[in-house]
Amino acid sequence: MAQRNVPITRLNKFFGAEDFHLDVGMGREWLEGDMNFTLVLYRVDKTKTDNDDIYGEAGKDSIKFHPPIEFKAFVQVSAPENKFLGNSKLDQMEPGNIRISVYQSHLDELGIDIEFGDYVGYYESEKRVRYYSVANDGRVVSDNKHTYGGYKAFYRTIVAVPVNENEFRGL
Amino acid sequence: MALPKKIKKNISLEPQLFGPARRQELLDKIQEHGTYLPKSLLHEDLDRGFLDFVKDELGIVSEGKKVPVLDILITTQNWAQFTKTWNFNDLDKNIVPPFVTTVRTPEVKYGSTPSLQYTIPNRRQYFYAMVPTWGDDGRKGMDVYTIPQPVPVDIKYSVKIICNRMRELNSFNKKVIEKFSSRQAYTQIKGHYIPIIMDDVSDESVMELEKRKFYMQSYSFTLMGFLIDENEFEVKPAVSRTLALFEVGSDSKRIKKPRQIPGNTTIYNESFDFPISVTSQTKTFEYTANITLENLTNVSSYDLYVNNLYFGANAINLPNQKLQINTNDILKIEITKTNSSETSSVKLITKLV
Repeated sequence: MAQRNVPITRLNKFFGAEDFHLDVGMGREWLEGDMNFTLVLYRVDKTKTDNDDIYGEAGKDSIKFHPPIEFKAFVQVSAPENKFLGNSKLDQMEPGNIRISVYQSHLDELGIDIEFGDYVGYYESEKRVRYYSVANDGRVVSDNKHTYGGYKAFYRTIVAVPVNENEFRGL
Repeated sequence: MALPKKIKKNISLEPQLFGPARRQELLDKIQEHGTYLPKSLLHEDLDRGFLDFVKDELGIVSEGKKVPVLDILITTQNWAQFTKTWNFNDLDKNIVPPFVTTVRTPEVKYGSTPSLQYTIPNRRQYFYAMVPTWGDDGRKGMDVYTIPQPVPVDIKYSVKIICNRMRELNSFNKKVIEKFSSRQAYTQIKGHYIPIIMDDVSDESVMELEKRKFYMQSYSFTLMGFLIDENEFEVKPAVSRTLALFEVGSDSKRIKKPRQIPGNTTIYNESFDFPISVTSQTKTFEYTANITLENLTNVSSYDLYVNNLYFGANAINLPNQKLQINTNDILKIEITKTNSSETSSVKLITKLV
């Protein structure tokens, strides 16, 4: 049965669907045209990945993924922290998380969805790529911040944490 | 199918010693490749020994590769320098899990093996060995080697495994639990047999949602060692064979020293003094003796008690009257003074039987 569409009529005295699409289009032009932050999404192929039967853990280089897809998003990388590894006395420079803000319409055009556990590669330089694992897929966008002035949600904020080469290295 | 229990899976190619022979073997190892003295054993030796124990006895394999064990103790100075030059670090020069590392608790406490007892004060030297020597003049002698009592110490270590997979945790846990199935394991450090006790296992894994996740488990151990400092060893010459010559004149006569005969030691006087206002005195005899009265001063009459049993009043006044006292008997004399404002005394003659 087809899902029933209900028109959004709030703010309709001074804001409507056309305005919404216009503003989103301008935003995307700025983000994808001017900023042009590019990331690579590695969606985990859960059926092909060689998982452990008990713990569901994959060995090194055993994670299988769908063909990588480039996408554009606004990227904020947190500052690294020099801190102890857990409660030990082992200190090391812990890279910061990545916060990805992506237009939902862009994802829809690419036909992709970003889920928990997917990996994202972000090229820090021509030769160096850092991989992150999605820890918050930003699927819930009901809050005011993610809606355009309360009209409709238009982007997702995804938080991903760095992973070790031992877990994933894009191979 | 599992093998029957009686089938030995590992056969030692070297003969194994048991009982006293094994004890002697352990003692011999203390001096092996060394001098007659035991090898010095200090904090750094114990630390090295524990690291070797972790590397050799607690090593595991993951995905066909040996899990690296950091072969150095984490101290305040070395860690940053060391880890950045480690040969299995990532792009950020951080160590890639899985790996095993050892952290020592900086404070070292007085040891509890064999038990917490402070037995010998002041670092007294004890005989350890007597070693034959040849002096400068070619004469044979002996050197006495002495050492102080070794000082027991308890050193606490945390062996931590950092990894990404539960299987690696399981593998390490199995290795440790099997090794310490009887609570303790032993290691040999410079020939000394040192027990290690497993204290606790704790989990310090990072499971926060928006942080890089990894497992970290910490196994705490107590190494029950002892300190032997070779600077405290002492080597002293013992008696050496010497040639002693005496020249004796032939014209001198030997003067005889008069022989001293000790006096009669079986009879002596015993005095009971009674200050003013005191009318009773007791004494415990540590020998068997006959006592008779010598004289009385300012005493009109007296009563004798032996072990609190009444013996009699003025019972040894006559010269032929005596009282036998046995070893550990308590003699009590109660007097009546002639003049109560003066001191009194009863003098007895004691003859040992």
